[in-house]
Amino acid sequence: MSFLLPKLSSKKAVDQAIKSTAEKVLVLRFGRDEDPVCLQLDDILSKTSSDLSKMAAIYLVDVDQTPVYTHYFDISYIPSTVFFFNGQHMKVDYGSPDHTKFVGSFKTKQDFIDLIEVIYRGAMRGKLIVQSPIDPKNIPKYDLLYQDI
Amino acid sequence: MSLADELLADLEEAAEEEEGGSYGEEEEEPAIEDVQEETQLDLSGDSVKSIAKLWDSKMFAEIMMKIEEYISKQAKASEDIIHKFIRDKYSKRFPELESLVPNALDYIRTVKELGNSLDKCKNNENLQQILTNATIMVVSVTASTTQGQQLSEEELERLEEACDMALELNASKHRIYEYVESRMSFIAPNLSIIIGASTAAKIMGVAGGLTNLSKMPACNIMLLGAQRKTLSGFSSTSVLPHTGYIYHSDIVQSLPPDLRRKAARLVAAKCTLAARVDSFHESTEGKVGYELKDEIERKFDKWQEPPPVKQVKPLPAPLDGQRKKRGGRRYRKMKERLGLTEIRKQANRMSFGEIEEDAYQEDLGFSLGHLGKSGSGRVRQTQVNEATKARISKTLQRTLQKQSVVYGGKSTIRDRSSGTASSVAFTPLQGLEIVNPQAAEKKVAEANQKYFSSMAEFLKVKGEKSGITST
Repeated sequence: MSFLLPKLSSKKAVDQAIKSTAEKVLVLRFGRDEDPVCLQLDDILSKTSSDLSKMAAIYLVDVDQTPVYTHYFDISYIPSTVFFFNGQHMKVDYGSPDHTKFVGSFKTKQDFIDLIEVIYRGAMRGKLIVQSPIDPKNIPKYDLLYQDI
Repeated sequence: MSLADELLADLEEAAEEEEGGSYGEEEEEPAIEDVQEETQLDLSGDSVKSIAKLWDSKMFAEIMMKIEEYISKQAKASEDIIHKFIRDKYSKRFPELESLVPNALDYIRTVKELGNSLDKCKNNENLQQILTNATIMVVSVTASTTQGQQLSEEELERLEEACDMALELNASKHRIYEYVESRMSFIAPNLSIIIGASTAAKIMGVAGGLTNLSKMPACNIMLLGAQRKTLSGFSSTSVLPHTGYIYHSDIVQSLPPDLRRKAARLVAAKCTLAARVDSFHESTEGKVGYELKDEIERKFDKWQEPPPVKQVKPLPAPLDGQRKKRGGRRYRKMKERLGLTEIRKQANRMSFGEIEEDAYQEDLGFSLGHLGKSGSGRVRQTQVNEATKARISKTLQRTLQKQSVVYGGKSTIRDRSSGTASSVAFTPLQGLEIVNPQAAEKKVAEANQKYFSSMAEFLKVKGEKSGITST
């Protein structure tokens, strides 16, 4: 499944992607291809990518190859999904401690589609943070790892 | 002595001879028609010789007339007449056979086989060739309980003669068909290009000639040669209904089964056009026929091409279009319904220095505010704005009413009088009287409606006739 989605392997590539996607939600999945949860998430991403092709562009980023961004986004759990719109980082309140990224995999395809739609609508209205439509039961729970505090 | 050979010979001799002969022989044609009419009236005659007259004169006519006219005058009429004759004669012996074997040809053959003795039904090889096993079974069963009587020798002889004649007629009809087939491309080239010579010959034979065929509408031509409903309880599912010669022709049968009916309709329509062209002897090389056939082929191909591949479309971007923002009196009125009303405003207000009931704010937070307070400095109560009232539809109203309906009447709900009260009373006059307790109330309500309601009109009260003079 991960071979169906485009990959970004360097900082430059990620920069390029962020700058070039216009009027579409940019979905960056940070993780490793072999990890089982990543595999699940990749499966959902690849199956919905054609349906969402008008709303979103999905890319896979390997955490080991882009340490800069891994550090910048404070990625401690994988997979983590970060959303952008027109170069602007979109925050989503999932009911979890971290609004800047989505940690873990989605339960169903429909959850992901709904989330993308809400992000899109919010972004078109000029909002920078939106409320997630996913049922809190389906959102993976985790504890924040506080580093250097 | 074969008729076909005779015809061939005649036609091969010379066309000129025919033309020359036809002038002199035109008087023959009305004579032959008369003969035919005569035979139709002459069925009471016991002898088959009356029909034989037609036979002889027919042979004569064949030599003179062209093949088209021959088919139109000959085949159907005489065969039906003979069949009727045989049927009438044999009904004395075996009346039920007619309904069991509706097909004329099969009936005649069966009659020939059985003759006088109906026991021949069982284990008869010849019969098995004529009829199906099921039919034979039914026939033999009916034969054992038939009401008919044995026929005399004379009658039997006549029947035999008639049967033989009918069978020979049939055989000759077949031979004529074969001949016609071979000549079909000369007679009706366009028609035979579309459906083939044999089918064209058949439908022409059934229709009774090319002219008759050209006068038929396409829906009739489609059903030429269709088998009639077979009665006597046989299943008619094996025989497809409404399928004529055209349905069973090669061009239609070459398609998959579900397309065949549609194809039969199309081919019948084009055949009609071709027949009409042929009846005027236009397009003798078959140009129109080839064009029509080409059209038919193209349509067949179109029907059989596979359906287009379904495109999977991505979901559309969730952009709601610009909402219609219109102004004007109408939209202002609509907005009024939804806006902030006076009552709400008063409810939102709180007076200074007074502690509300809900000080700890444990409830929802809606309070009556100024509305609930007396002495707020206003004489009038805030008016209810009709425009902002909540409305429900009639159906919703009805369902709510039905839900809230309380069962019970005068003694249980209204008066709550003693439980022993009832609407049944014993009166000295009638004995038992049942009173509707609501009847009296209805009367009162009616009177009120008439006189005291705010919607009542002016009523004219008739004064007394004695003159009232005003002072």
